[in-house]
Amino acid sequence: MGKPTGFKEYTRELPAKKPVQERLNHYNEFVEKFNDEKLNQQAARCMNCGVPFCHSGCPLGNVIPEFNDAVYLKDWKEAYDILSSTNNFPEFTGRICPAPCESSCVLGINQPPVAIEEIEKHIIEIAFEKGFVKARTPNNRTGKKIAVIGSGPAGLAAAAQLNYVGHTVTVFERDDVPGGLLQYGIPDFKLEKWVVQRRIKLMQEEGIIFQCNSYVGVNVNINDLLREYNAIVLAGGSTVPRNLDIPGRDLKGVHYAMDFLKQQNKRVAGLDPFANPNIESNIFPEEILASEKNVVVIGGGDTGSDCVGTSNRQGAKSVTQFELLPKPPEDRTSLMPWPTYPMVLKTTSSHEEGVERKWSIGTKEFIGDGNGNLKALRIVDLEWKASEDGRPARFEERAGSERDIPCELALLAMGFVHPQHEGLLNQLEIEKDERGNVKASEKNYQTNLSKLFAAGDIRRGQSLVVWAISEGRECARKVDEFLSNGTSLLESRDAVLQVYSL
Amino acid sequence: MAQGAKPGEGGQLPGHKVDDWIGKTRHSTPGVGLISPPPHHDIYSIEDLAQLIFDLKNANRDARISVKLVSKAGVGTIAAGVTKAKADVVLIAGHDGGTGASPISSIKHAGLPWELGLAETHQTLVKNKLRSRVVVQADGQMKTGRDIAVAALLGAEEWGIATAALIVEGCIMMRKCHMNTCPVGVATQDPELRKRFAGDPDHVVNFFKFIVQELREIMAELGYKTVNEMVGQVDNLEVRESLNHWKYKKLDLSPILYKEPSSTYTGLYCQEEQDHGLSDILDWKLLEAAKPALEEKQKVKVSFPIKNTDRTAGTVLSNEITKKYKGAGLPDDTIHFKFNGTAGQSFGAFNTKGVTLELEGDANDYFGKGLSGARLVIYPPKNSSFVPEENIIIGNVALYGATSGEAFIRGKAGERFGVRNSGSNVVVEGVGDHGCEYMTGGIVVILGDAGRNFAAGMSGGIAYLYDVNSKFRENCNMEMVDLDECDLNDKNELFTLIQKHLEYTGSTVARFILNDLDNQLKNFVKVFPKDYKRVLLEKRIIVGTNK
Repeated sequence: MGKPTGFKEYTRELPAKKPVQERLNHYNEFVEKFNDEKLNQQAARCMNCGVPFCHSGCPLGNVIPEFNDAVYLKDWKEAYDILSSTNNFPEFTGRICPAPCESSCVLGINQPPVAIEEIEKHIIEIAFEKGFVKARTPNNRTGKKIAVIGSGPAGLAAAAQLNYVGHTVTVFERDDVPGGLLQYGIPDFKLEKWVVQRRIKLMQEEGIIFQCNSYVGVNVNINDLLREYNAIVLAGGSTVPRNLDIPGRDLKGVHYAMDFLKQQNKRVAGLDPFANPNIESNIFPEEILASEKNVVVIGGGDTGSDCVGTSNRQGAKSVTQFELLPKPPEDRTSLMPWPTYPMVLKTTSSHEEGVERKWSIGTKEFIGDGNGNLKALRIVDLEWKASEDGRPARFEERAGSERDIPCELALLAMGFVHPQHEGLLNQLEIEKDERGNVKASEKNYQTNLSKLFAAGDIRRGQSLVVWAISEGRECARKVDEFLSNGTSLLESRDAVLQVYSL
Repeated sequence: MAQGAKPGEGGQLPGHKVDDWIGKTRHSTPGVGLISPPPHHDIYSIEDLAQLIFDLKNANRDARISVKLVSKAGVGTIAAGVTKAKADVVLIAGHDGGTGASPISSIKHAGLPWELGLAETHQTLVKNKLRSRVVVQADGQMKTGRDIAVAALLGAEEWGIATAALIVEGCIMMRKCHMNTCPVGVATQDPELRKRFAGDPDHVVNFFKFIVQELREIMAELGYKTVNEMVGQVDNLEVRESLNHWKYKKLDLSPILYKEPSSTYTGLYCQEEQDHGLSDILDWKLLEAAKPALEEKQKVKVSFPIKNTDRTAGTVLSNEITKKYKGAGLPDDTIHFKFNGTAGQSFGAFNTKGVTLELEGDANDYFGKGLSGARLVIYPPKNSSFVPEENIIIGNVALYGATSGEAFIRGKAGERFGVRNSGSNVVVEGVGDHGCEYMTGGIVVILGDAGRNFAAGMSGGIAYLYDVNSKFRENCNMEMVDLDECDLNDKNELFTLIQKHLEYTGSTVARFILNDLDNQLKNFVKVFPKDYKRVLLEKRIIVGTNK
């Protein structure tokens, strides 16, 4: 903590964003950088708490007070070393993480929390600029081969970690470019794809093999992998979207959010969205465009917000977002005290760009125009009845509130239920938990098939990128232990916390 | 009777945290750091402790005197001694405390778990037939009803809960108590940060209700109606068998779980009061004589003979004055007692405003301990043949922790003179080693030599030393003080005090100096603490700019 009184002198500030009118014209990132002084001030706000709750708020156990201090002292190498000791991909989490660390920041009890995420992003970008980020190739190879299936954040983290200790890692990706949701889920305006590919390139230099257009269970045989590799990490994500099974669901113009978002990412990348319909994920064989349409996004989460931003950029006539739950409070309530992650109203940059947000809305029916095209939605207001202990428990439709609203494109962004069962998982006859995720304990990440491990959303269900990285890292340690008779040089999160909590 | 978070380690309050309010409470200068030294300079032995307990009991007969001991091997023996020294309460402090700003060395390496110390203490006290004379308390990260139930079974009838209660109030263990930057306003003097304090006393009440409820449930399960029945019933505790970690394999808890049986001589909890021996002390006579002063504020002047078993003279009297007249006390010299003979220990301890104790004879240790406004005068018997300024007339640790008042001593004092003095003005004719250690206020005039290590840790107040032999410099601990020359202000100060000294004691040294003050001034060394000087200077500048 460079400055003990920093938190009293400066308040939280975030970098400026480009004006809405300007950023709607393109798909690039629009958040500007801190100048040196602002970055220094924001880092000075960290209080170096005796009990740093941010450590435990962050699923990665990022050693936040220490890197804040290094930033304050302008020791960029030190800052990068600390940050990269717990986080393989700060350039991703620095951009798109909902920052549970900031929710648990002690300063957040009565002041705006430290801008940890922005500081993280600045550390890694400065490290890239200054050339600190270099390929770290292992000194010796163990000769053990590992297959990682899926190249999302969990797969990448597991691959990177396993490669560091000398195993030979091959990553299988069914899409044409590695990165998973980082590449073909998150829109470019939140995470530009050169950032992802910069990291992939680095990992290739480190010796990791990326095998794209390889759909294990379709054009790659899982038995071949089981035979060739010493261990396999399943990191395929939780890809089956939640459906809204109401009348008119099959009308043209009702789509899953991922189908819509992926097409746009491919367009931005200058690739043909329909090139490999058989082996790529989330491919809808026709163009889904929001331009000149009344778009309704059903689902109030982050994916929904991405749909809003993409629709606005495509030139939608109007954009509306529905949420089933009531409007959350603006601030913490007694039911979500610090340092829990608060369920408060979140207004994303995409929301700033123009959207009508509605809460407590139920969608009753998709109404067609007679030619099989979506024309309108029949919606109804819901009334939530709080149960005795104050939590929202059940809803009733408000009588007489049923109405139709014009809509030519409805995007379903209601979350993901579980990983895809058909294909790989069914072929393996792998054990699943009651929610349909691959069953593997948080203790050892091992499935009921001993060579097979699982990490990320495929194991824990839909979650955050930061959790995926955390799972990838922890899983890698378990795989390494499995391959090295129970000892591993990789740090576990708990070990890191112990070292730094002195 | 204890000290802060970690007994035996001392504590510091840095200068920037000492605001006006704290300065007032601690009788020190705002802005100057406060050092609590590891030892108590008035207790170097169990007899010293017994005397201190007696003093404190004199100062407030209604208060229980509690002695805090760190849990360690052998604490039982210490507790037995403390009980014989007439403590009303013995507190066994566990090693997990000190979660605030204690240095990491204290947090990690001081003391043992309270369970060990408590078990040993209780067993030793029962064995030595002392247990029923004293209340045993335990503390150290107790947080639940289960904790205090275990403590009760091991032998404690009272318990301390601090960290948990602080957490309930909003403490988040920032460990920045020493930095004045507590962001939740718990441990800070910064008014802006104090505004952020969101605690509510009701939360603490609620927390304790929960604890007590849990304790009741456990008591019901064990079949106890009262806590007293439960104290020391160690046989209700069993070693868990589910622990199969290899480290537990050779763990033998039987010494902790041993139950020392009660007997006809002692019970297992506090059942009788300590006999503090207050029934036949001199003070009851003083109180009788001072009645007109206490009731009507009339002046009283009486003489008494005194002998060395008359300890702590005037303290009960001062307690009675304070009860009636609070801190203001009585008008100066309302009660004037003259004693002849050899006074016992703690002559004039904690004596308050309006009392003058004049002693013709000599006095033992702790002369004027904790002096709180009274005037003490001591001189050798008029008919004695020795040279007063060459002979020791009072014992060690005189004026320890005095906060106000005056003392005029014709003759030399022993070691540790004026330690932790924070406001009394004193004239003496020579002191032993460690004089004015940790002094924070007041004026000490020494018309003679000082022993070594003078002014160690002295952060406030001023000492003037008549250094006619130029020997002082090598005896002074220069870490925190400057040795300055005396200016005109000092001269006036010296004149007033030495004049009084002469008037009250008839000192020949005083007469010589006063007759030649202009000339003798150069022989006076002014011992001026550096921090104190800085703060005084800053204040003068601020006052200057305000004008």
